[in-house]
Amino acid sequence: MKNDLITFDNVSRFYGEVLGVNRVTLSLPPGITSLVGPNGAGKTTLMNLVAGLIRPTRGRIRVLGQCPTQSHKLFGLVGYATQFDAFPKGLSGFQFIYSFLRLFGYSNAECKRLANQVIEQVGLSDAAGRKVAGYSKGMRQRIRLAQALAHDPRVLILDEPLNGLDPLVRAETINLFRRYTSEGRHVLVSSHVLHEVDMISDQVVLMSGGYVVAEGQIQSVRSEIQERPVKILIHCKQPSILASKAFEQDHVVEAQLLSEGSGVLIKTRDADRFYRLLNHLALNGIDIEGVTPADDDVNSVYDYLIGNEEKVSS
Amino acid sequence: MMKLWCRQIVSVVRLEMKKTFFSKRGLWVYLLASAPVVLYMVHSVHVTRERRHLAQLATEHPISQAVFNDIKTGLSRDQVVEKLGEPYCQRTRYYHGGNGEKHSFVLYKYTDGKNDITYHFEDDELAWIHRRNPDTLPESQLIFATSFQFYFLRLAVFFGCVGIFINLFRGEMLNKSLHFYMLTPMRREVLLAGKYFAGLLATVVIFTSSTALQWWAMLWQFERGVIVDFLTGPGWTQFGAYLGVTALACVGYGSIFLAVGLLFRNPIIPTAVVLLLESANPFLPPLLKKTSMIYYLQSICPVTAAPDKNMPPLINLLISPTEPATTLTAVTCIVLLTFLVLALASRLAQKLEINYSTE
Repeated sequence: MKNDLITFDNVSRFYGEVLGVNRVTLSLPPGITSLVGPNGAGKTTLMNLVAGLIRPTRGRIRVLGQCPTQSHKLFGLVGYATQFDAFPKGLSGFQFIYSFLRLFGYSNAECKRLANQVIEQVGLSDAAGRKVAGYSKGMRQRIRLAQALAHDPRVLILDEPLNGLDPLVRAETINLFRRYTSEGRHVLVSSHVLHEVDMISDQVVLMSGGYVVAEGQIQSVRSEIQERPVKILIHCKQPSILASKAFEQDHVVEAQLLSEGSGVLIKTRDADRFYRLLNHLALNGIDIEGVTPADDDVNSVYDYLIGNEEKVSS
Repeated sequence: MMKLWCRQIVSVVRLEMKKTFFSKRGLWVYLLASAPVVLYMVHSVHVTRERRHLAQLATEHPISQAVFNDIKTGLSRDQVVEKLGEPYCQRTRYYHGGNGEKHSFVLYKYTDGKNDITYHFEDDELAWIHRRNPDTLPESQLIFATSFQFYFLRLAVFFGCVGIFINLFRGEMLNKSLHFYMLTPMRREVLLAGKYFAGLLATVVIFTSSTALQWWAMLWQFERGVIVDFLTGPGWTQFGAYLGVTALACVGYGSIFLAVGLLFRNPIIPTAVVLLLESANPFLPPLLKKTSMIYYLQSICPVTAAPDKNMPPLINLLISPTEPATTLTAVTCIVLLTFLVLALASRLAQKLEINYSTE
């Protein structure tokens, strides 16, 4: 087994008779992986399982080859920013990170250096001396992120990490994730803000009712949903010609001219064949200005797969 | 590895210190610990004043010891006044006998400077004499032993440990902050040890300080010479023993309530059960007695607590006399029990899950 994977092997977790997650089998490579699903889908349960805060009722989990229940081995590798908005009482931001690092066994000087470094990284240097209890929601979110990042882990688990952050900090945080994963590390995030998931994820895990509904790169997931025709938006000078040519194909189920006459929206059951057709038409004089897949984003995929369940905000 | 564990334990203790020593919710622990100190101080102040008052009266109206010795029951009030002079305090009460006759009951109080001597007259005849020294050292020692064993150990230290040790895990579960420890590469056993030492540090400091202050407050009323004689005799040994017993009580009860905090969501019922077992100790058969912490703690107390003279005979019958354990046996048993309970708690900690929603 490769040692840079997070693997779930037929993992189930029940809270008494209540289902947390059921029969989850996943293999997550390095990169940004987003867990997407409505409340109660099992995202936090899955994260808590990876971090060893709870144990699976059935199945086996390995994080870079380590068993999550062995916290003394795991947390050298893993940093987890939970969604619990509670902190040890009476500590300033700096003291919180410093004390946390002391528990890792670092020396006093090393703890101070790492704490200052990570606090600067999340942009809280000015507020480091203030009590965490007096922080705003966004600042508390950032100090939790700092706590997860402080010991430079190879796997970063973040439960709704962008909640409460202002747009600028959001962008900085997303950049931070990208830098992190560019070094071959894991960032496992849960989110219900779908356009952000689209923007940041290398792969997604769609969850509903404790089950993994789909996983992988969002485009691959979309292409596997055969019963839903793929929507492709084409901007061109002769949309009616393109629409008529496209409609001759048996895999094209709908061609809809855009109201301004600037293009056409095609629904096809075979995107590959349609793209080949487009190439052919372009070579034969149809002036195509742009081609955009219209429904291979997380929102659409989510809607197709879990459409009848609780709709998440987008 | 050992060095890392020690560092981690020290870090946990430092983090827990604020909670164990300075939490607002824990103020009542200080009240429990300081209550007997305050009582001893008030008592000492009262006794000192009384002694001064008697000494002053004796200076103003000196009476020799020989004259006091001359006073026997059967004398009339006038005869007593003739020998001793007017009392510094007198009280008279009247009551009606069965045949409707009126009787008098009179108290005359005198002092030789150290003792308060009361003469009780019934119908003008001295019926009995009562000499009372405001407080003697042996009497104070007995009072200290009784209060230490029946209030301090069974209630103050017991509930102090309940308040501090149960909250080490349970309190953090309720505050939803326990997971911060769980997100570090620290063995659960090391976390448990850190939390136990933090609780132990707090309880030992609070309650041994209280014991020391109680001791000082008890002795404070006596003259310097009496105190020095006592301390150079059995005093320091007794003092050390009381401090040791207090610390051992924290060690033992602390481990029990740490485990209770890990095992039970609602610790009230298990605490009540432990309290019941500890309180029922005198009535338990000898073998069962030896399963309770208080049996070993009382065994190493330097002074045996005074039995209650007013105890109903039936209850007195129920008390099963048992030989106290030797110091070595008592200390060994408490330490062994502590290790056993901590080992159990460590297993519980290893299986502990963070699931605040069910708390």
